[in-house]
Amino acid sequence: MTPEANPHLIDYLILESSMICLIIGKDGTILKANSCADSLSGHKLEGHPLNDFFVDFGRALDLTVFLNGSRDKILVNISTSSELPETYYFRFFDLGNSILALGEANRQEIGFLRKNMLELNQELNNLTRELLKKNVELKKLNDLKNQFLGIAAHDLRNPIGIIMTYSNFILEELNHEMTDAQITMLNTIQTTSEFMLRLLEELLDINALESGKLRLEAHKTDLLGLVRTNTSMMNVIAAKKNIHIQVESYETIPEVIIDRGKIEQVLNNLISNAVKFSLPGTTVTVKLFLTGDHVTVAVVDQGPGIPANETDRLFKPFQRTSVKATAGEKSTGLGLSIVRNIILGHHGKIWVESKVGVGSAFYFSLPLSS
Amino acid sequence: MITDELYSTYQSNLLAGSRSVCSHIVTDLIHSNIPIKELYIHLFQRSLYEVGTLWERNKISVATEHMCTAITESLINLCYPAIFSANHTGQKAVITCTPGEYHQIGARMVADHFELHGWDGYYLGSNTPTDELIKFTMEKQPDLLAISISVSFNIPSLMALVKKIRSHFSDLKILVGGQGFRWSGADEFQTMGNIHLITSLDELEQKFLIPRRHDT
Repeated sequence: MTPEANPHLIDYLILESSMICLIIGKDGTILKANSCADSLSGHKLEGHPLNDFFVDFGRALDLTVFLNGSRDKILVNISTSSELPETYYFRFFDLGNSILALGEANRQEIGFLRKNMLELNQELNNLTRELLKKNVELKKLNDLKNQFLGIAAHDLRNPIGIIMTYSNFILEELNHEMTDAQITMLNTIQTTSEFMLRLLEELLDINALESGKLRLEAHKTDLLGLVRTNTSMMNVIAAKKNIHIQVESYETIPEVIIDRGKIEQVLNNLISNAVKFSLPGTTVTVKLFLTGDHVTVAVVDQGPGIPANETDRLFKPFQRTSVKATAGEKSTGLGLSIVRNIILGHHGKIWVESKVGVGSAFYFSLPLSS
Repeated sequence: MITDELYSTYQSNLLAGSRSVCSHIVTDLIHSNIPIKELYIHLFQRSLYEVGTLWERNKISVATEHMCTAITESLINLCYPAIFSANHTGQKAVITCTPGEYHQIGARMVADHFELHGWDGYYLGSNTPTDELIKFTMEKQPDLLAISISVSFNIPSLMALVKKIRSHFSDLKILVGGQGFRWSGADEFQTMGNIHLITSLDELEQKFLIPRRHDT
């Protein structure tokens, strides 16, 4: 029985079937499309060229290929209203003046895909579970590490302080009784213990910040005044390297509510870093300017600059860049991490712009309102 | 607290595939410090049981049932920061599904309950091959092994698995449970030594997870 011999069959296919049913003219125009085809494509297909419905990736479909007399299913990708093409398996029947095309999805293939999707989803969820479990375990270990670090740093601070004080005392009081070699050794003891003390203090800072113990005593402060005071003190150190620090501000900076001591720590760190990495004869400029409802401070140097691929890790603890201090000054690798946490604690932002061979600019901005 | 109104909003959105609305509901409940057990039993479990019933009665398609399960699995992830924060007791449990059992969410909820009570709940997921399970159990030396089945067709597979486990671990405490035992199959396991049928998360908690006075 051919479809033409049974008009009811054609009516059923055209109106109700969940198969795609198209009657196509020999010129490739869709003469009739059933509701399944129309709803899948998202518009009335009747009168449109077949190429509007079949996705042929730029090639014109050749109907003679479909009508070669073979009863084999032909795999066709069709465009749908969801914008995701779907694959249907078509059979074509010659009706004389027209062609009947019947398309159906491969249930086995859909079932297979669905099963795989479910398994992948389950695997994803199980991996997420493991990951979250590891995250909690890591957090607990990190807390433990901070606790240990806090105890160790606190207990080591006093003995190192004693070493520093006594070496200083011997250097000052017994200087004349010692050989040059002994004086050099004592100087090394003193500078090393100074560095260790600074490292311990920064470790205690990191510990306090990571444990959420950052306590800010915020008061209305003249930020420009604070910058000027800090800069004049730092100029004494910078002068030893023949570096000049200058302040630039061309507008009235309102008072900001900040923890003076903590922001001073930030300025000390950024300016001393600029001095540390600058060559003699250069200038470090500290700029203050208003940006909307924030005041921004920039510490700009004429140093060697930081390679772009290293700037991301600058504010992480124990990270150092490939750039070396110009007079061999030591670095704990903790300063910028502490600075970042202090600025974030003030609801501010911190960032860096740098160009190799030109210099670096470290910016931080603080909200004008509390 | 999960009111009937909140539950029905959640359930209708789950069936409609509105993951974001469901996620908001669960996040709000977590922020309100609802006990995780209440969330598991009165929201996730209740709604999935209802989804299962709708599927059995041909009210929803199997695709919708799978979508609801997938959404629920992703929502459970939101509870993990709270679940894994419990202090560890040092006890270990391996939780798994039988070979051929592809419904894993019940077993996962059991594993999470072990974690919630400070156990290490090693969760192996669905359709775990027997040899892999034996290898893993040898490696971890758990205090107990829990096996879940969600459909009753898997009872023979469970029976075969239990026998194989017994041949390798004669003293290991084994818990079996899941929706697969809803209608039948329990008797076959009652006579086997050191095997316990668990019918609910409450029962699991009362019998195995909450330390009894003489245990402490």
